[in-house]
Amino acid sequence: MASNILSIGKSALNAAQIGLSTTGHNIANASTPGYSRQVVVQAAAQAQNFGYGFVGQGAEVSGVMRVYNEILARQMISLQSTSAAYNTYGNQLNAIDNMLSDETAGLNPSMNDFFASVQALASKPNDIPTRQTMLSNAQSLVNRLNSMDSRLNEIEQGVNSQLVSSVGLVNSYAKQIASLNDIIEQSISTTGNIPNDLMDQRDQLITELSKQIKTTVVPQNQGTYNVFVGNGLPLVVGEDTYNLVTTTSPTDPSRIEVAYQSAAKVTVLGASSLTGGAIGGLVQFRNDSLDVVQNQIGQIAVSLAGTFNTQHAQGLDRNGDPGGILFNIPAPVATSSSENTGTGELSAQIIDPTLITNSNYRVQYDGSNYRVTRLSDQTSQTYASLPQTIDGLTISQDSGTINAGDDFLIRPTVNAASNLSLAIKDVNKLAVGSPVLSATINAGNTGTGAISAVSVDSNYASAPLTTALNFTYNSGLPNTLTLAPSTQPVTVTYGGVSTTYPAGAPITYTSGATISVAGTSFRLSGSPANGDQFEIAPGTSAGAADNRNGLLLANLQTTGNVAMIGSNSKNTYTTAFSQMVSSVGNKARELKVTGEAETKALSQATAAMQSESGVNLDEEATNLIRYQQAYQAAGKMMQIASELFDVLLQLG
Amino acid sequence: MRISTNTFFDQGIGKITGLQADQLRLQGQISTGKRFANPSDDPVAAARALEISQQKEMNATYTNVRTVAKTNLETVEASLTNITNLLVAAQSTLVAAGNGAYSNLERGFVGTDLKNSLDALLGLANGKDAYGTYLFAGYNSEVAPFTATGAGATYNGDSNVQQLKVDAQRLMDVSVSGDEVFLANGNNVFTTLNDIINLLNTPITDATTQAAFSAGLATAISNMQTSVDNIMNVRAAVGSKLNELDTLDISGQDRNLQYEKSLSEIQDLDYAEALSEFAKNQTIMEAAQKSFSSTAQLSLFNFI
Repeated sequence: MASNILSIGKSALNAAQIGLSTTGHNIANASTPGYSRQVVVQAAAQAQNFGYGFVGQGAEVSGVMRVYNEILARQMISLQSTSAAYNTYGNQLNAIDNMLSDETAGLNPSMNDFFASVQALASKPNDIPTRQTMLSNAQSLVNRLNSMDSRLNEIEQGVNSQLVSSVGLVNSYAKQIASLNDIIEQSISTTGNIPNDLMDQRDQLITELSKQIKTTVVPQNQGTYNVFVGNGLPLVVGEDTYNLVTTTSPTDPSRIEVAYQSAAKVTVLGASSLTGGAIGGLVQFRNDSLDVVQNQIGQIAVSLAGTFNTQHAQGLDRNGDPGGILFNIPAPVATSSSENTGTGELSAQIIDPTLITNSNYRVQYDGSNYRVTRLSDQTSQTYASLPQTIDGLTISQDSGTINAGDDFLIRPTVNAASNLSLAIKDVNKLAVGSPVLSATINAGNTGTGAISAVSVDSNYASAPLTTALNFTYNSGLPNTLTLAPSTQPVTVTYGGVSTTYPAGAPITYTSGATISVAGTSFRLSGSPANGDQFEIAPGTSAGAADNRNGLLLANLQTTGNVAMIGSNSKNTYTTAFSQMVSSVGNKARELKVTGEAETKALSQATAAMQSESGVNLDEEATNLIRYQQAYQAAGKMMQIASELFDVLLQLG
Repeated sequence: MRISTNTFFDQGIGKITGLQADQLRLQGQISTGKRFANPSDDPVAAARALEISQQKEMNATYTNVRTVAKTNLETVEASLTNITNLLVAAQSTLVAAGNGAYSNLERGFVGTDLKNSLDALLGLANGKDAYGTYLFAGYNSEVAPFTATGAGATYNGDSNVQQLKVDAQRLMDVSVSGDEVFLANGNNVFTTLNDIINLLNTPITDATTQAAFSAGLATAISNMQTSVDNIMNVRAAVGSKLNELDTLDISGQDRNLQYEKSLSEIQDLDYAEALSEFAKNQTIMEAAQKSFSSTAQLSLFNFI
């Protein structure tokens, strides 16, 4: 009997000791990330039947259990990955938001200065310092566009390197999870007990993994975890791991894509497979914001430079020569996919800068037809042959042969802002004047007829006048004008009504009507006398005060020249830029607000998990006292048992 | 409900860092005077502010163009005034020359007088502006428009007028071509003067020359009147354009004021509100820190 009491005491002591150790373990790991507190599960030992009843045999420890709620844990992991995605996307976008809106480094000040100097040039065309200022401001604008785009390229390189390090982390976590799977399985099968600390470690790795990419865990029967990432790609199955790898994009050598490696095959993953976590945030940022903004800035650059070039070419410079190119616009980038079997190369050319969009285009050949898809809205058209012109862009085949299944990516504006340059350095080459110089009243005129300045249409520069056009007024019923030489039809527009006279026919005179011939337009007004003559003569050198082309260049600021997809109307350059800044600002705000909400939800979920599994030091202090007292009581019991035995010994 | 030690510390510190971030943001607002630093702080207001500042810039540009236009037109007007005065004086000289009592010598003096006027007129016709370009040459403003000849003067310029965009919908002529001033209506004022000068220098010997002189003088007086009328017309037109520029300037200034007011409403900070929020936040932060530190010190381990 005494020995029974002793063994009961021993079991009590044992239980108290285990309790103290576990409490000590909890206290030591109170701040360990991912630690779930452990509790000792004590049970009464099997009672013995002594005929008169069951006598208890003390306590036994049936297990040390960790307090872990799987549901709360899954919730936290899912919130972890969405919150990481929003925050990563938001942080990257803030960099662009700051760059666009900066008052000194943004695009607005440069654009405003440039347009102001174009206006000044139109106001004082023969002033050399004014011309120089316009060139300097044009150069500043080009520099600003260059530096903005190169900043975007830097951000892209940053995204590349973050993707590489995230993928590295994912793979290293996968290895660690797989090896833990192995150890845990062995421990459970050999001992039948659950290794709590290893399980905690594995759960902590899962949490870290979910910060990188969306993670789903499927627990298996032997205590192993099967881990799936993104949209269900297996990462860890039992003790086997599969890898995510990074590879250069098949269509863009400066871009890194995330791919999945299984057996020997590497498959590049699209954005829909890579959701959640930092990787999901980075990929979404790159596709939805970075690429879009880069193309939009490029579109503004192409439109501004292209329309200025077109107008400039219609003018005459100080030397009397037709205006040359003002800006050098980089050609669109056309890349063949590295998986193509053919050797064909495509090229693209911008032929109408006001129709260029901010979208990329994909060209696919199926053996008989070319399918061109506008990637921003996924609309496509099929053609039987190249070259074809779409959205102001002409796509043609450069060289080689194209096989069925070949794929090409055309990016019209991606490099436009970074490689734009100014083509004119000489102030005398700024074409502020207009080709048809003189509109003169013959000195012998006796009537009161007046002739306005002459303007030219956009086709004039390609077919300028070579001889003067002489209009003679003939009074009569009706009053008419005769044109010499009479090889061209003449159109007279008055009050919105146009009448065209064939070459050689007398032209009815209406004072104030606009007369158009051979690409030129002017107005005759007043009352000429019979025989009065008016002459339009092509000038060989622009008069120094001729600012007509300058006025037209300045007008470009307020005309719509930037195309919008899905609309027939066009934006001005500044409106297009404002829209871009506004949409980036809106997206950044949306991400900030949603990110904060997600972070809050995450901290609530974490708090909920912690309230079950977290260590409370005061609670552990109480436990210490409790187990200490239990130990003391057990010790006292053993002392009494020993004294009882002494009594027995003294009997003999 | 159970709180783990970690939660206690994490949330406590989390709240304090949140308050610190708020303070930082308020400080940024107060030191820049702007309600939002980035478009993402208030995208709608940022877009509107951008729009208004674009319009303000355009308005300022037109104001600058109007300054140039005014300078040009004022220079032209001053020159036309001088020309008018000169021609009016020549007119009275011409009328006086009709005095039948004048001898050939005296008519010769008148001729010399008018020759000086002709030279002076040529000088005014070849006048330049402050930049050194010729005022009355049309577009060909780097070549002197009038060259003296034996018959008076020939015009080397053209009929073009320089235009400037002085307002969003207003393209205004800001120069006057030489032929419009001096050669209009078939009257070349130089030729008129030259002819009468020649006549004055021709001695009157008989009735034929007398008749020729009288007829020539009558023609000269009539042509001169036409020329002076024409120049006055041109002057009036220039004057009315200057008036129009003044009106445009006034409305431009009004618009500028409105834009500034709108911009200020959108993006300027209300200092009273911001400073009181800053003070309030400061108090909350102090309370949070104090309460955190006092509860963080409570631990059962202090008592066992």
